[in-house]
Amino acid sequence: MVTIHLFGMTKMLAGNQGTLSLSLHDGKRVKDLVSVIDAAYPKIGELLQKKKVLVSVNQEIAHEDLEVKDGDEIALLPPFAGGSEGC
Amino acid sequence: MSLEQATKADQPATDDDAMLVRVQREDFSIDEELKRVRRRSKRIGGIAMFLGTARDRSKGKDVDGITFEHYEGMAQKKLREIRERAIREFGVIEVLVLHRYGEIAIGDNIVLIIAAAEHRAEAFRACQWAIDELKQITPIWKLEHTPEGEVWVEEHP
Repeated sequence: MVTIHLFGMTKMLAGNQGTLSLSLHDGKRVKDLVSVIDAAYPKIGELLQKKKVLVSVNQEIAHEDLEVKDGDEIALLPPFAGGSEGC
Repeated sequence: MSLEQATKADQPATDDDAMLVRVQREDFSIDEELKRVRRRSKRIGGIAMFLGTARDRSKGKDVDGITFEHYEGMAQKKLREIRERAIREFGVIEVLVLHRYGEIAIGDNIVLIIAAAEHRAEAFRACQWAIDELKQITPIWKLEHTPEGEVWVEEHP
């Protein structure tokens, strides 16, 4: 079981849930996780496919081929918007 | 090393590094943060500062307030990386990076970058690079409150 942290618009698209818990078998990769999310939350899936939302594993942006292990800290990151806009 | 020397070397800096990179809900005092940076070295001869504040307009629409959300842990990690790279790559003496989260009223402080160097050129360069990089790599999101509703800001400025 992996816990996925959601922020900003991804949280909103998941019905304002801050986390999702998904069961993933051993040997699964980030792209498999994306497929599982796509099936459950197609709007988030679409943003992941377009790379508008990125996946981080253990606080680093992850490549789709990275293996996901039990206990990894996973998050879906919408486009960042820190600072003050236009500043 | 004598005990006296060891004690001197081990004395904690007036502020530890953690205070130079913060993500916090509360407002900050620019004077206090400037003092914090200036205390780090007597070799500082030029300080560049960037302060980002909350504007009442975004893309032609009125904005009543802003809420910032951050990824606790990763946001701090990325800001630490920015500080370390700015010091290493731009030859500045010290860099401070602060970002607020939570609800921010129009006109209030959002983000503060202070870059201190021996001379102004590297201070300006490091300061500009740090705020640009912050926007690119730091997991912080902005929800704008407008008369028409709330909007998560997607695009980079």
